[in-house]
Amino acid sequence: MLAGFLTLIGCQLLGEFIQRALDLPLPGPVIGMLLLFIGLCIRGDVPKDLETGSQRLIELLPMLLMAPAAGVFFLGAGFADQWPAFIAAVTLGTVCTLVFCGLLIRFLHGRIVSNRNNRV
Amino acid sequence: MSELLHGPLFAITLTLLAYQGALFLYTRSRRLALFHPTISGATLIALALFLLQQDYHDYYKNINWLTFLLGPATVALAVPLYRQLHLLRNMAGPLLITVTVGAVFASASALIIAWLFGANHSTLLSLTTKSITTPIAITVTQDIGGVTTIAVASVILTGVVGITTVTWLFEKLNIQDDRLWGFCLGLSAHAIGTSRAFERSAVAGAFSSLALCLTGTFTAIFVPFAAQWFM
Repeated sequence: MLAGFLTLIGCQLLGEFIQRALDLPLPGPVIGMLLLFIGLCIRGDVPKDLETGSQRLIELLPMLLMAPAAGVFFLGAGFADQWPAFIAAVTLGTVCTLVFCGLLIRFLHGRIVSNRNNRV
Repeated sequence: MSELLHGPLFAITLTLLAYQGALFLYTRSRRLALFHPTISGATLIALALFLLQQDYHDYYKNINWLTFLLGPATVALAVPLYRQLHLLRNMAGPLLITVTVGAVFASASALIIAWLFGANHSTLLSLTTKSITTPIAITVTQDIGGVTTIAVASVILTGVVGITTVTWLFEKLNIQDDRLWGFCLGLSAHAIGTSRAFERSAVAGAFSSLALCLTGTFTAIFVPFAAQWFM
């Protein structure tokens, strides 16, 4: 498991290094994720240590996110006038996104299916 | 005595304790979205800090050691992405088009609505990542200068709205194919949506996690560039 953790943290370090060296706007951990993904594609399988290490970390995510989420209760008066916009954007935006993606994928998928049927 | 209450040992103990409490509440409520561990845990932490009259920012600094793990956890998401990649076969075209267009739509729709309601600059920046999984959202938001807390809150609320409306919406739209159903939910409502998709079926869950990984990766790449371009 520790060997897996070393791979993850090594990829992050390399990602942070590339970000600084090339002055990219992408966050270091995201570059690290892309590097690891490319590595896995080249290798063709996931080493056991990496599998367990990453699974443990992903399982911990809800806990790691509790503390930043608790900050919502301490935003103070400065954010008070932002709440209506925040709630409207998130609720309406999410419903719109679901409907939009649903219609789009149904249309694209339907076209493939009817193309196949036409050929047969 | 008081320095013990203001040190990392106490802060980390409090966090782990709140997490155990949150897990208990979540299983007791039969996995009700509103009692998701991140939500109930955050409420428990806020309650404890309030009762002990502690400063939130001091507490946040004290658990640095834990939040540091968000970096490697983001890198770790490469593993499920790699695992789900085979699902792309046969329907790569529709899925990839839906991810790119849908991810831009998710950010843009939130931004436009917030802007119409008069949100300020930093709120807008913090909303751009609402449809992507939280660890990536946090890293991106920090980088483009948004407020982490608002970003996390928007991600979680997005997930809750997504799973409470999806069944009804997709019945109306007549989308019942588990692959499409799961994919759209993972795209719009990330990890919270994915856990709901697994409740529907294993196929829906797998497509949901594929969508979650692709949306996160794509948004993480395009938001920083877009933000840089707009400012």
